[in-house]
Amino acid sequence: MATDDRPDVLVIGAGASGAAVAWRLATAGIGVVCLEQGDWVDARAYPHWQADWELHRHTDWSAEPNVRRLPEDYPVNEQASVISPLMYNAVGGSTIHWSAHFPRFRPSDFRVKSLDGVADDWPIDYATLEPYFDLNDRMMGVAGITGDPAYPPKSPRQTPPIPLDTLGHTIAGGFERLHWHWWPSDSAILTRDYDGRRACVNCGPCDLGCPIGAKASTDITYWPKALAAGARLLTRARVREITLGPDGLADGAIYYDREGRECRQKARAVVLAANGIGTPRLLLNSRSPRFPDGLANRSGLVGRNLMFHPYAMARGVFERPLGGHRGPIGCSIISQEFYETDLARGFVRGYSFQVARGLSPIASANGGSVGDRVPWGRAHRRAYDARFDRTITVAVIGEDLPELHNRVELDPSLTDGNGIPSPRVSYRLSENSRRMLDHGIARAGEVLRAAGAREVASNPLLRAGGWHLMGTARMGRDRATSVVDAEGRSHDVPNLYIVDGSVMVTCAGVNPTSTIQAVALHVADGMIRRRG
Amino acid sequence: MTRAGLAEKRDLLAAVLETLVPPSEDFPESGALALAHVLAIADASAEAGAMLTRAIEAIEAAQAGQAGPFPTLSITEREELLRRVERSSPEAFDALVRHTYDGFYSHPATITRLGLDPGPVQPRGHRIESGAPPDLGRVAARGPIFRRA
Repeated sequence: MATDDRPDVLVIGAGASGAAVAWRLATAGIGVVCLEQGDWVDARAYPHWQADWELHRHTDWSAEPNVRRLPEDYPVNEQASVISPLMYNAVGGSTIHWSAHFPRFRPSDFRVKSLDGVADDWPIDYATLEPYFDLNDRMMGVAGITGDPAYPPKSPRQTPPIPLDTLGHTIAGGFERLHWHWWPSDSAILTRDYDGRRACVNCGPCDLGCPIGAKASTDITYWPKALAAGARLLTRARVREITLGPDGLADGAIYYDREGRECRQKARAVVLAANGIGTPRLLLNSRSPRFPDGLANRSGLVGRNLMFHPYAMARGVFERPLGGHRGPIGCSIISQEFYETDLARGFVRGYSFQVARGLSPIASANGGSVGDRVPWGRAHRRAYDARFDRTITVAVIGEDLPELHNRVELDPSLTDGNGIPSPRVSYRLSENSRRMLDHGIARAGEVLRAAGAREVASNPLLRAGGWHLMGTARMGRDRATSVVDAEGRSHDVPNLYIVDGSVMVTCAGVNPTSTIQAVALHVADGMIRRRG
Repeated sequence: MTRAGLAEKRDLLAAVLETLVPPSEDFPESGALALAHVLAIADASAEAGAMLTRAIEAIEAAQAGQAGPFPTLSITEREELLRRVERSSPEAFDALVRHTYDGFYSHPATITRLGLDPGPVQPRGHRIESGAPPDLGRVAARGPIFRRA
């Protein structure tokens, strides 16, 4: 099915970056159509309204597409990866499921090669993105407090920080005793009503979505404004390939609608915002005589340099109840004591600590992110009672460095519900990352004990921790060593743009969404400027 | 044994679940509370149903050499039998324990006993006392700890 509709820009993917770029372009008067393979999430459908809400975390509301298996998901062959990719396919994308921990990259994160002699520098810097960080913060709504010495000064946060509560004050005491850096996290979760959205009521499981809209997901932040500005959004529209015109420019995409009919959407420019796995998958599926190895892939780098942020987890058990079921699950405190390179530690670059809330009842039994299940049998009751509501988990978020062998390819046999080849992910942990995580686990144990933990357990590598999908269509000045330029434009196809985590040259040691969205806004402004 | 067959083994299954999570004096609820959940999971998912069926079949096979049926055994004998099954059929047994914990720790009676409010977490949420603002003076006094680039 084809139409004569030919908007200025086709955006593929309605998640964190697709929403931001669609809004920015639409408010500049540019015609935008977005194709999203998922649907709108009905606020009444979230599991929080059901008594058995926690059961859904490992079934239909799992962050793992291979577990969730919804019709709008595509399977991922992850057999050759030590980390499972996580994502959500819906309007809002993975911001539906994220914990909304919202730190920015730091200035040094854009100059890794210059400062530390590894990986590559970005073609843009912190100063370039700073106004977009601020703009994005206003659009998403950030709870936090200024003055963090780990960053250049920031503009005022939109609402006060997430309350620390007993758990946060307890671990803060540990950081204080060790004289380490810590700060109440920037979180894209409102603690006061803001911009027509309600404040958080501290129900807890943000990772299952936010049914009241206190947590920023782009279906409730960017999209209403983008649609009001004239953008159009087609849901359950799964793109198979991007098409090229005779002039070698992208001229649209072929997709399947919710009834499975093949459709064609024309456009004058195409923006890919399908995440660090979905975007290379789509490019590799878009082969043509001009691009036999995949669209925009003359560098051979599409799909390569996959970075995840390997996570290690340390969990302390305390003597007293901590109220850890109260408040946003992933957001209370960040520490960047070990963020910048110190080669005496045995590795280059560094990591953040993210302190998460306590374990809910089922997670307490099954071990949560550490995975140490409470024993069954007569020892069960005592062991469970010693753990429930008495734990603090510290996540070690390590900076992954780009490596060519960590990559996304097309699986030769696995397909999605429309018969489109699925991605195959190969990823192994580098020696540098291993040393970094080991250092982080040891230091996390120190801070937990300094805070009063009587025992500490750890998970050296969280398998179900592939929240952050980055690097697979990297940005750079040299077309031989990068896929897009400093404004997200393909070196090979000048009206094809990429705005998701694929473009990240390096991944820093913090959650990337704030930076991904800032980059998307930066790319959008380049498109607007070129259009005149 | 089919998944329907699993439902026919309710008494055995209940005894197994109670052995996995036994009642105690101050926490009288037992793993048997998870029975409906385990059966529902077996019914909803062919994969889970097959795994749970394997676990129960392994338990049935193990009880053949015992003095009596599993529910009549002493708690020590039950645990010893289950530990043998855990070693011989680790994957199936792991699924049985996981689904038992899932069902037990999502049951309203258990949630109440843990001191939480059973039921949906929305719209009620949780109250957090605002408390004193964090003292960030020491951290801020260190000055910038980021590298300028």
